[in-house]
Amino acid sequence: MMHWLRTQGWKYLGLVLVLYSIVMGMVVPLHSGISARTPLSADAGDTVAMHVEGYNTHFAQAQEELRAWLMLDDSLTLAASRIAVQDDRHLVATFVLPPLLPTEKQVANFTLVIDNPIDGVTLLPEALFVRQDTVAPQAVVWQGGPEMARLHKGPALTFPFRNILRETIRNTYFHVPMWFAMILVFIGSVVYSIRYLRRQQPTDDAYAAALTTTGIVLGMLGLFTGMIWANYTWGRPWSGDIKQNMTAIALLVYLAYFVLRYSLEDREVRARVSAAYNVFAFAALIPLIFVIPRLTDSLHPGNGGNPAIGSEDLDNTMRLVFYPAVIGWTLIGYWISQLLWRINRLEERLLDEE
Amino acid sequence: MKTAREIWYLLQKELVLEWRQRYALSGILLYVLSTIFIVYSGFQQKLAAPLWNVVFWIIMLFASVNAVVKSFVQESGYRQLYYYTLVNPLALLMAKVLYNTLLLLFIGLLTLIVFGMVAGNPVEQVGMFAGIIGLGSLGFGIIFTFISAIAARTRHSATLMAILSFPLVIPVLMELIKLSLTAMGFTESTGIEKDVMILLGIDLMLMGLAMVLFPFLWRD
Repeated sequence: MMHWLRTQGWKYLGLVLVLYSIVMGMVVPLHSGISARTPLSADAGDTVAMHVEGYNTHFAQAQEELRAWLMLDDSLTLAASRIAVQDDRHLVATFVLPPLLPTEKQVANFTLVIDNPIDGVTLLPEALFVRQDTVAPQAVVWQGGPEMARLHKGPALTFPFRNILRETIRNTYFHVPMWFAMILVFIGSVVYSIRYLRRQQPTDDAYAAALTTTGIVLGMLGLFTGMIWANYTWGRPWSGDIKQNMTAIALLVYLAYFVLRYSLEDREVRARVSAAYNVFAFAALIPLIFVIPRLTDSLHPGNGGNPAIGSEDLDNTMRLVFYPAVIGWTLIGYWISQLLWRINRLEERLLDEE
Repeated sequence: MKTAREIWYLLQKELVLEWRQRYALSGILLYVLSTIFIVYSGFQQKLAAPLWNVVFWIIMLFASVNAVVKSFVQESGYRQLYYYTLVNPLALLMAKVLYNTLLLLFIGLLTLIVFGMVAGNPVEQVGMFAGIIGLGSLGFGIIFTFISAIAARTRHSATLMAILSFPLVIPVLMELIKLSLTAMGFTESTGIEKDVMILLGIDLMLMGLAMVLFPFLWRD
């Protein structure tokens, strides 16, 4: 079994994992969310009829058990006095705001909470800004109506709803794993280059070249999937973000590797010189990919105050797809490299026979 | 001790060689002067500090590539091989790096003076800026010398030199541009040690690698 996994199985494992991540990434629905609401602000004492637009919600089906609150903090909630459902995605919730708010600020911002047994509970932070003219938190006797309790969990297998990302959150299983795979493939290429310099076996050099080819392809795929994503979330495909620029440079470095290979005729010299360049270039890329982007602001998660992978960006359902995708794309990358290496070896054998 | 003496002799050899065939040195000087003049006549005005900074480092970058590219091709292959039998190849590499660093430092200071004269000089702390030029010369010297050793193995060394080295110097160049903005009083000087440490770290790592990899490059 272990033998089979080492010789053949890893390829099928990679294929299965990639297919699994594509299917899961596309099929699993998004958790319900609140995509729009009006009005955005109100005065204390008003009666607000809030028009809510849901995403992936089933308001009409859950009409009887639909509940809504405005939440100031965990203990202070205000239940909707009336909820009128228009259809599955639209409802009007009426809130009677008290004349005085239990806060010392002039403006309080409320989170909108909607709960029903089909979709589970959904939140929209900063849904309503309420102004008050007189600030007197001591005088307030809060009457929030039915308290926020017995919230529903909703369907178990969903990806989180994020307001700017929405459905594009699925790109997490393509863009990011391709990048991880690219780095792992380039590391493999450097390892083979070092092995070549130690043992002078032509196979090692051919392997390093094949891995570099695959790495470039994965890098370009990562770049393009990222550009498609950026077009939806940042507004345009290329924002000159530091990581985008660094990727472009990294690809230039590796394309130069092939220019160098083509310009050397002698096979042995080519192998030696390009192996030396590969090791040197990889070392020069380390500050490019791992150091400089951390020193500069970036639009990417994990930079400039944006949340990073591993915290709230990646919930457990996403991990279930993300990690297999990383492993799968890496294994596929190595498989393709092996095929390239075999083609290269056959071509050289043909050349030798001529 | 032996290696240090070898480096010293090789450094002298480089200097004497440069002085005897002055075309390379004067070529670089003319290159710098004419580039500065083109920039000056193109802009027709004093440049704002950030723009001045970028233009300065671009002139420096191109002049450096042109100055270093000849490192391993100016002497015939047989004479190079003779050197390798005579001295420790690593001493030869270090002498070349050292010589190129000094050459680039000279080019950088010259560019600073001439460019400052014709296009205005926004540098507030000249000493610090000279130090940054020194750091830049070291980084450029290491990367360009190693790449020129690679490019010397091919038939189109000048083209390959640019293709191979430009992407690699970008991290160094970005740090240099950031640091020089500080010397111009354009950005706060807090955390400047961190940038200097990063630059020196990159230099140290690349120099170490160049020394490990160089033996694979010169052998035939």
